[in-house]
Amino acid sequence: MLEIKQMNSGYGPMQVLWNLDLMVNPNEVQIVLGANGAGKSTLLKVIVGLLPLWSGSLLMDGDDIAHLPVTARVKRGVGYMSEKGIFPELTVEENLRLGGLSKKRGEIQDQIDSVYQRFPELKERRGSVAGGLSGGQRKLVGVGRSLISQPKVLLMDEPSSGLSPRYVSEVIDRLAELRGHMTLVIAEQNISFLKIADTVSVIEGGRTRFEGSVTDFTNDDNLKTAFFGIE
Amino acid sequence: MLFEYAIVGGILLGIFYALLSVGLNVVFGAQKIINLAHGDVIMLGGYAAWELYQTYKISPIISTIIVVPITVVIGYLLNRLIAPRLGKSSDPEMLSLILFFGLSQVIEALSTLVFGNAERSLPINSIPTSPFKLFGESYPADWWVSALVAIPLLAIFLLFLYRSSVGLQVRAVISDSVEAAVAGINARRISGLYFGVGFALAACAGVWGVFIFGGVSPTEGPAITVTAFAIIVFGSLGNPIGTLVAGIIFGIFYQLAQVYVPSWSNLVPYALVIATMLTRPQGLFGRRQRVA
Repeated sequence: MLEIKQMNSGYGPMQVLWNLDLMVNPNEVQIVLGANGAGKSTLLKVIVGLLPLWSGSLLMDGDDIAHLPVTARVKRGVGYMSEKGIFPELTVEENLRLGGLSKKRGEIQDQIDSVYQRFPELKERRGSVAGGLSGGQRKLVGVGRSLISQPKVLLMDEPSSGLSPRYVSEVIDRLAELRGHMTLVIAEQNISFLKIADTVSVIEGGRTRFEGSVTDFTNDDNLKTAFFGIE
Repeated sequence: MLFEYAIVGGILLGIFYALLSVGLNVVFGAQKIINLAHGDVIMLGGYAAWELYQTYKISPIISTIIVVPITVVIGYLLNRLIAPRLGKSSDPEMLSLILFFGLSQVIEALSTLVFGNAERSLPINSIPTSPFKLFGESYPADWWVSALVAIPLLAIFLLFLYRSSVGLQVRAVISDSVEAAVAGINARRISGLYFGVGFALAACAGVWGVFIFGGVSPTEGPAITVTAFAIIVFGSLGNPIGTLVAGIIFGIFYQLAQVYVPSWSNLVPYALVIATMLTRPQGLFGRRQRVA
């Protein structure tokens, strides 16, 4: 699905990612763990095209997508949900509608209705400005919009960011419902997300320190202690 | 009766001022810049109306329609020219101010060369001439005709912005251009289009400015820009509906000042900006967002 080899990139002259590798398989949930500044967000931004790939390769379904602009990558099926994830000035329904710009009007409405079925609280707030929602509801709007756009792979940048523990659990539960139906790459520093993951990558200083199954990760006490202080 | 005259006249003129200002807010929304050449685009709209009437006897009402596609294209192309340069700049706001100040000066100089220094005006019989009567007072034809032209123009603009798919994309880009790009929106193209719409609205206002201001001259641009800026700050930067309401309120205050304290009326725009900054910096329609 997504194959990254020897990725180097950064902001301006500052290199953040150093020969980073990542492999994501179809319908897999991969958690990219790392501390603040490890390079998780940078990695997702390079994949979606917000930052340039300096060197290395970025393949999706075997095709090189590194040269494509953002909109072309989105059309190819790369979905991206930023930490913000919403357009705060637009209503919930308008936010969702933006997920289906390439679809026909009737088709979009069907998709929006299915999101409302999945997240009924959004239906109640459909006419509300998204910026006025609770943190958890905002994340659901972002997830809902991504579901409507039906990406092949959805990149999520710190979905727990700015959320209280209660809302984090809620978001995790909702993402768990997508497991097996969608390819997800979730950049997080909150290890609670491990419970919905199939595979884990750990990034430190812009380099891959671990890549493997959740079981391998949880059995590796040295890794857990070194990076996350978990005994 | 003076009070009623000021209120009704203020509303009629306010609709014109809403049209005069909304283009500046649109350009701000499209590119997050203040177009210091806004008044000069309005002035060019005035000259276009004057030229079309003098040469081809085309009614200003028709000229209002003619200037739309031309200025949309000019605005779009200008945006495509400057946006990448602003994007690469370390201080795009400052660069844009310098750039548009320069553009304003160039337009003023070229207009002087082409049209001369003298003020140009259109005969009042180029539009329907019967005065509008209400509460026993009559209002000049140019006031109500300009309002009648501005209302459908503004309605079409609002329908475009709030009821069309492209309008939704425009608002998404205004809200967050990066987020819009990752939603699959071609933010550059949409910004360029909206920028062009801002120019078109300004040019349409310019056609009617020839009547409301009593003529068009090459040096009128900066003063118009200041008035429009005061109105968009009052209504809230980036919020076109705020501008429309603010324009009408401005018109009423301006007319009240004209009627009761005429020598102070030119202070209205500045008083409006200062009062807004002191009491409600986000403007009448600026929203405070929930932060968590």
